[in-house]
Amino acid sequence: MKLIPWDYAVRNLGRNTMRLAMSLGGSALVALLILSAAAFVRGMERSMKVSGNAKNVLLIGAGSEESLERSEIGNGVASIVAASVQGIKTQLGVPYISPEVQMAALIRLEKEDPESYLSLFRGVTPSAYLVHPQVRITEGRSPGANEILVGRLASARLGIPDAKLAIGKTIWFDGRPWTVSGRFEAPNTVMEAEIWSPLKDLQIATRRDNVSTVVITLDDAEIDDIKDFCQQRLDLELVAVSESDYYAKLAQFYRPVQGIVWITAILIALGGMFGGLNTMYAAFAARTRELGMLQVLGYGRFALIANLMQESLIIAAAGGLIAVAAGFALLDGLAVRITMGAFGLAVDTTVIVSALAAAFALGIIGALPPALQCLRMPIAEALKK
Amino acid sequence: MSYIECRKLTRAFHKGDTVIKPLRDLDLDIEEGMFLALMGPSGSGKTTLLNLLAGIDTATSGSLKIGGIELTSMPRSRLASWRADTIGYIFQLYNLVPVLTAYENVELPLLLHNYSKKERHAKVSLALDLVGLADRYDHYPRQLSGGQEQRVAIARAIVGDPKIIVADEPTGDLDAAAAAATMAMLKRLNIEFKKTMIMVTHDPKTAAVAQKTLHLEKGQLIENNA
Ligand SMILES: Nc1ncnc2c1ncn2[C@@H]1O[C@H](COP(=O)(O)OP(=O)(O)O)[C@@H](O)[C@H]1O
Ligand SMILES: [Mg+2]
Repeated sequence: MKLIPWDYAVRNLGRNTMRLAMSLGGSALVALLILSAAAFVRGMERSMKVSGNAKNVLLIGAGSEESLERSEIGNGVASIVAASVQGIKTQLGVPYISPEVQMAALIRLEKEDPESYLSLFRGVTPSAYLVHPQVRITEGRSPGANEILVGRLASARLGIPDAKLAIGKTIWFDGRPWTVSGRFEAPNTVMEAEIWSPLKDLQIATRRDNVSTVVITLDDAEIDDIKDFCQQRLDLELVAVSESDYYAKLAQFYRPVQGIVWITAILIALGGMFGGLNTMYAAFAARTRELGMLQVLGYGRFALIANLMQESLIIAAAGGLIAVAAGFALLDGLAVRITMGAFGLAVDTTVIVSALAAAFALGIIGALPPALQCLRMPIAEALKK
Repeated sequence: MSYIECRKLTRAFHKGDTVIKPLRDLDLDIEEGMFLALMGPSGSGKTTLLNLLAGIDTATSGSLKIGGIELTSMPRSRLASWRADTIGYIFQLYNLVPVLTAYENVELPLLLHNYSKKERHAKVSLALDLVGLADRYDHYPRQLSGGQEQRVAIARAIVGDPKIIVADEPTGDLDAAAAAATMAMLKRLNIEFKKTMIMVTHDPKTAAVAQKTLHLEKGQLIENNA
């Protein structure tokens, strides 16, 4: 089987600049679309996965297992756990037990600002930094009285310029100013979209005398020890959930969103594919007589199909690479707001491979039918075109 | 036995319910080294016959033997390699590949065989010299005149040293001077290189170059020796 030299396919690309631009743009767009959808889904999954620490257990109010924001448990639970359960991780005698208030709160940027923003607040004590080792203060310091520590994606979550949450800036909540004392990152976790304040101050501001959850990091203890504790202290009305399970459940809640993102992307990509099919069909049909001539010379249909496919796959590969480059430049890490917070789009190997695969699929599916169509014609007929 | 032997050769096309038979029970013998012209009104089946002889199309019934080989029952892929070995085809509209240079166009048939680059170069150079285009290797078809394009096409047809050259109205798109030059070239290929030449033409002056002219009418042959 003799093939037509590969570089003839390359030269055929130059036949029609307009068509080249259109098919290149088309395949780049389709690949970018698939890349965006994959980066969205991957970013979301990563944020759920990384957020959950397998060694962490959440104590949640019975009946509120689905949503920490609805959960209310007694202020004293943290110290009762510390006294009752063995095998909890400690550092210099300080147990990894973090009582936290997690809530959505409407904040304003100015006192009389008519506009308010729904933000995710977490009231914490110093032990929060023990049980959430992903958190790293990048600027400033942890918050003192009526101060806040701002996550890297908090401004994205609020939809405001990041400068509005720079150190020294204030936001208004419960009729009083809260000053930014520092900024933190917690790569790929849901915490990055949050605003942290001292637990006490948040409790005063919201007039609550309970917490949403107590986060515990285990050492020798098993989650069952914590569950046993909840059984023994039914009066506290607690359930123990591993942090990973909690976020895995949350991730499941967002499955339909991911499904919709995929379906939308694939539908638009299919549209692009049919457009590509048309362009390719026109390009190949214009060459019918030449393809007939090559068969007269003795080239087989397989050689001609291979040549046409090479041409299409070169475009697909170039489009795919453009999409990957654009994805890296424009999308990687880009913050996306969702109701539960914000996360960064993830352009990783899997995402890149899916985008390139989509581009190649477009190259094959977009060119094979027109190539077969053109070559189905008897040679004598093709020569008359 | 003649080199080319057609017996009751028939080609029928089905178009819906109607059957068109451009060739009907045609008997024809062509000796090796012959220069044959095929004439006839438009639609008389000239191209159809030429395509059968060139192994591009297969007959509906009858027999066609070339060099003792029966073509009518040959499978598609064997026919393709038979063509590559035996036939040089010259078209009315040249059919050069626009993105390839004159040199590369002529080289195309050679890529189907196992020649080295050096061997290919020697053969392509010889063919382009023969048609008087030694100074046009790097020219693309759009940089050539119609007559020059047809000469590149002739070089492409002879580069593989085929036994038979078929030409379908090779001068149909050329002016008188270019047509005369082309015919002189085909005559030379026939006389000097002993190629069997089968040419379709409308033009009696072009046909006059051939040794023998056959007239086709309604799928039948009317012989008339020049
Ligand atoms: N592929 C085909 N399908 C149907 N009819 C065809 C086909 N090829 C040729 N014909 C018909 O056969 C007849 C002879 O055609 P052709 O051999 O091309 O004539 P010409 O002598 O002008 O070269 C014409 O009537 C033409 O319409
Ligand atoms: Mg014809």
